[in-house]
Amino acid sequence: MMLAPMMAVLISFYLYPTFYNLYNSFTDLSLLGLKKGGAYIGFDNYIRLFQDKAFGRLLWNTFFWLTFVSVSLRLVLGILLALLLNSETLKKFKLTGITRLSLLVPWATPAIVAVIAWRFMLDPREGIVNQILLSTGMVDQPIAFLSKIYTVWPVIIIIIIWNSLPLVTMSYLASLQSIPETLYEAAEIDGANDLQKFFHITLPQLMPTTLVLSLLLVVWTFNNFVYVWLTTAAGPGSYTNVLATEVFIRGFIDFELGYSSAIGMMMAAMMALFGMFYYHYLAKKEFSEII
Amino acid sequence: MKSKALILLSGFMFVMFVMLAGWTSNLFSADIKLVFRFNDPEAKEMREALDVFEKNNPGIKVELQTIAWGNSRDQFLREIAVGEGPDVVHIAFVWPKDMGNAGGLRPLNDYIKNENIHGGFDTFVATELTTNEKGDIYGIPWTTDTWALVYNKDLMAQAGISKYPTSWPELKNASKMIHEKTGKTGFGFPMGSAKGNTIWFLANYYWWSNGKALVKYDSNGGYKVGITENDIAESIEYFHSYVKDGHSPELMLSISTASDPAIIEALLSGEQGIAMMPPNMLRQLVEDFETRNPGKALPFVTKIFPGGSAGSKTHLGGRTLGINSHSKNPEASWKLVKFLTSEIIFEKFYTKQFPAQKVLLKNITFGPSLKGYAEQLALARSWGAYADSPAQIGSMWNKVGRIFGDAFIGTISSNEAGMDVIKMVEKELK
Repeated sequence: MMLAPMMAVLISFYLYPTFYNLYNSFTDLSLLGLKKGGAYIGFDNYIRLFQDKAFGRLLWNTFFWLTFVSVSLRLVLGILLALLLNSETLKKFKLTGITRLSLLVPWATPAIVAVIAWRFMLDPREGIVNQILLSTGMVDQPIAFLSKIYTVWPVIIIIIIWNSLPLVTMSYLASLQSIPETLYEAAEIDGANDLQKFFHITLPQLMPTTLVLSLLLVVWTFNNFVYVWLTTAAGPGSYTNVLATEVFIRGFIDFELGYSSAIGMMMAAMMALFGMFYYHYLAKKEFSEII
Repeated sequence: MKSKALILLSGFMFVMFVMLAGWTSNLFSADIKLVFRFNDPEAKEMREALDVFEKNNPGIKVELQTIAWGNSRDQFLREIAVGEGPDVVHIAFVWPKDMGNAGGLRPLNDYIKNENIHGGFDTFVATELTTNEKGDIYGIPWTTDTWALVYNKDLMAQAGISKYPTSWPELKNASKMIHEKTGKTGFGFPMGSAKGNTIWFLANYYWWSNGKALVKYDSNGGYKVGITENDIAESIEYFHSYVKDGHSPELMLSISTASDPAIIEALLSGEQGIAMMPPNMLRQLVEDFETRNPGKALPFVTKIFPGGSAGSKTHLGGRTLGINSHSKNPEASWKLVKFLTSEIIFEKFYTKQFPAQKVLLKNITFGPSLKGYAEQLALARSWGAYADSPAQIGSMWNKVGRIFGDAFIGTISSNEAGMDVIKMVEKELK
């Protein structure tokens, strides 16, 4: 009886929308026909999704560019920045406080502000990036970063990293500070050099944080709509279209809510599979130790 | 300490009381409250117009809501699905039928029949776009426009061009000459594929001027695709050549609207020779130029789009006013619609727009900078079969933009894009 209110919350806020979306994915519901509802069409939306010739590129963009590249880079850069922030050199020059504070600025910046600021900086006519490149003679023509297929994904990745790297860095910094000094002292007595200490002590000690951060970052990034949409609106053409932006395009631009729901359900299924795989094969041991 | 806390508490209670009193007085006021959702930038001027309406109609208060054009259609559709939304809504010419058929707009036939709105419904342009196949009228055309080309005459002169282009190859040549002779951008037009993209209009102008169209009437009273994949591929290659040949910057591939600051700034600073835009945008451009360069002669002239075998053709565009089918105050909403479509609105408040009433339109004095629009309006066509067919213009618009975008960046060939467009239109027509 005591659990009833929580069960009600669970059903109304989590289960109902999920099952409603699942139901919609088997209909031809349109935004123009919301009042009368959609007609049941079985698995047509799913079949159409798998037959769509753009589906392969959507998966590549979502899995490789948006998720794999941006998460990997954030993890690697996060560790490196955390090591820098934790270093004796910064402490010696009393730069620890200011460095940590400046790192928090991008984190506190809303994604929309970050994207607009970067778009201004990258503008071919007025942007500071092109002005620097031109004035230093590195290029003789301004680069339209968001129009070229060779530069558009790297730009999106840079914006994501700029905005969300501080969270990763701070998490690693907290973990670094909890590694017992005695481990390093023992390693020094055994004659380990800095590189050996990093690979045999620091990295293994950071593994629980890495596993948790990886899981969170993958889920957040895979489902993220904001960065791609605000930066390129999935363009040029549909070159940077990802699953999350495809859900929006199909649902609210093409008005095909049923089809859009099917894509959403596929995304949920993919993340559920990833979570199960991740837990089973990579993180079960580490998580059980943490918990 | 205690008395200080008491004073603070009393102050807080007083503020809360005043706020509550204000809120409840609003709640129980006998006034009819209407919500008018408006999508253009002239919100300040529109508020002033609504103040006049409130003064003339004691007992009716109007809340002005604003929303960007890009979000207005889906926002309203989401609202009407749950019985919500503004009482009076500002929509594009091609939306009323879909919205009305979806149950979101109130049929206005009775009001129109009982009251001779500004001399009759047939004194408005594009009434066929607001009327569905059963004869239900879902909106009153409010403003009308079309697009024209805007030239910087100084750059044209520097490029040695005295005769303005009348064909598509001439337009490309003018763009090329401007770039070669002055180093500036020639014809810079949005080639991006985002929602509400501009390339849709340009592509249609190109097709129509050559006697083609995505949707045409067939001889059996139905509809057919009125263009081949080769025609579409050829148009893609024509527009792409501006960037490929270097007289339009690559930046245009990521710009979707004609009002993008990159285009407007380039025009204002004399960095771009040719652009395309609707008249309200031109009026804003002229205002901005005069503010920045007091006393300096205006460098802009407007001209009609080039023509092909069928002459110059653009679309007759515009805005419509509709009444939400869930409005609790349809009579007051109708009063507001009548007021907003009256002459005073276009004389005093909504001065950057052209009225959709034929009589008022005739009275407009097009100054020299708007001369091209006056000529182009006479050559503009309605969406015709596009609007009458089962295909949704909004859907074709966005899909064509995305397919063109993919071809422009080379992820599909122009022939593949042509095939994709044809398949898409065939599917829409089913």
